[in-house]
Amino acid sequence: MSSSNKMVRRPGAQFWVLMLAAIAIASVISLMVGPLSDPPGWVIFRLRLPRLVLSLLTGGSLAVSGCVLQSLLRNDLATPYTLGISAGAGLAAGSLIVAGIAVPVLGMVAAGTAGALIAVGAVYAISVAAGRRDTGSTLLLAGVTVNLVGASFLLLMEYFTDANRIMEIIRWMMGDMAVVGWAKPVFLLVPWAAGMLLVLRRTGVLNQIAQGDDLAATRGVAVRRERNILLAAAAILAGATVGVAGPVGFVGLIVPHSMRRLAGADYRYLVPASALGGMLLMVVADSISRVVISPAELPIGIVMSMVGGPFFLMLLLKKGRRRKH
Amino acid sequence: MSALEIVGLRAGYGGEPVLTGIDLSVADGEICGLIGSNGAGKSTLLRAVLDLGVDFEGSIMIHGCEGRGMPPMERARLVSYLPQNFNPCSRLTVGETVLLGRFPYRSNWSTDSERDLEIAERSMRECDIWELRDRVFTNLSGGEKRLVLLAAALAQEPRLLLLDEPGSSLDFRHQLNMWLLLRRLSSKGIGILVSTHEVAMAGRFLDRVLVLSEGRTAAFGTPSETFTPDILSEAFGVQLTVTRDAEAGSWSIIPEIRT
Repeated sequence: MSSSNKMVRRPGAQFWVLMLAAIAIASVISLMVGPLSDPPGWVIFRLRLPRLVLSLLTGGSLAVSGCVLQSLLRNDLATPYTLGISAGAGLAAGSLIVAGIAVPVLGMVAAGTAGALIAVGAVYAISVAAGRRDTGSTLLLAGVTVNLVGASFLLLMEYFTDANRIMEIIRWMMGDMAVVGWAKPVFLLVPWAAGMLLVLRRTGVLNQIAQGDDLAATRGVAVRRERNILLAAAAILAGATVGVAGPVGFVGLIVPHSMRRLAGADYRYLVPASALGGMLLMVVADSISRVVISPAELPIGIVMSMVGGPFFLMLLLKKGRRRKH
Repeated sequence: MSALEIVGLRAGYGGEPVLTGIDLSVADGEICGLIGSNGAGKSTLLRAVLDLGVDFEGSIMIHGCEGRGMPPMERARLVSYLPQNFNPCSRLTVGETVLLGRFPYRSNWSTDSERDLEIAERSMRECDIWELRDRVFTNLSGGEKRLVLLAAALAQEPRLLLLDEPGSSLDFRHQLNMWLLLRRLSSKGIGILVSTHEVAMAGRFLDRVLVLSEGRTAAFGTPSETFTPDILSEAFGVQLTVTRDAEAGSWSIIPEIRT
């Protein structure tokens, strides 16, 4: 699929056409699968279409956010959750659930988003305070710590809460794509567009920062400013997504990894390819989650991990075998 | 014109000076060496020129332009840099890695132009790594990686090239090739400032040498002027025997061992 000149590996036109076609087919299937108990028009336009749009948006943003963080942290295993985003969102949403405050759906979404952004802010502040020159590894360490501490607070909260509410928290943490009407996708659209725009304008910068701060700076990148903007964009994309749909794992890890094989490692092509890959994966996973135990549905987080985990393992094993030769 | 002109430089980190009273000029097409013991301030001097987090007083003129406050993109079109340590995390090919050196010449998102590809190819041929162009960067040996990053630095079309211990971790053959390559590059008019610990080897290739001792200039001149037992012994803090084979033009510098 790459161009024949191997010195530069660029995905050819057919790659983009195939990706778009795959997304279109998956979308049509997604609109058609599942039981139609209510009037078909209502089900499709008020339930399935908004749900499809939500899947496309969340998949795209998680994959792109993962892509960005893998460059900033110079680590192929970084995901949107490496920076404490899921722990922050979980704590915020969990507090609301435990406190028993009845908030409308969007209140929950806003709280999750705010929690995610606060966590990233804390991680960033810690890494700045540490003041080491290698910002990548400091961010990584601070992120892992905030994630662990946040998770333990969430456990503590669950320990002192009655069973019903614990179930609610756990259900939220499993990821939930269920929507009625257009409120959730429309809410997500604004941060999504802002984050995507910020990242897409800086794909060349991502290439440079992945080479190291010093090299990037000597090639004309205002490293500190660009890193802050990109970090904020990654946090907005993932934070808003987690707020809306819960912490769905694996997308931010698997998609950039797979796309590196198909579209090369140049972020100018990898970022848009990952956006499309994330959309495809999310729509497929959501369709599966609705049909396996139909008419009930599985949480998308479980489906993603069960499908994504083995798939990722397969990639790793294949890579290991090739190295040996 | 001078590729680099430094007058009265005082530089350091967070108010603590590492270097004081440094004057230095590197003409176009000249290779200037920076030698001195570990911690003498060689890297700090290079980082000051590159504006990599060093606070400084005094004047740094790069190809006739004031270095202080120079926009990063403009600086990147005049100076390029081969760091001592690097650890890029990317699965880019050698060719793609070299093309990254074209960044200061393009807008935020743009594909590689014909000219970018031409210059990348020329840079790779100069560094003798054209055969490696399809390989993935992270799978290369340490010496090959260094040459790839040097080719990327050349793709920036610099007037001034700064190298921080380019020969470290290279064997004799690769060290020699590195110095011969620097000589070829300087013959094309690029000014080169290179810090090194291979003093004897460098002596054959350097036009001028700045000997640093505890952040001050111990000597500045041609190798013949500066490679004296007194100057080098003081700079390195050990008694050194310095001899020159005039016929071969080679130096040997050997520490005296007192038991």
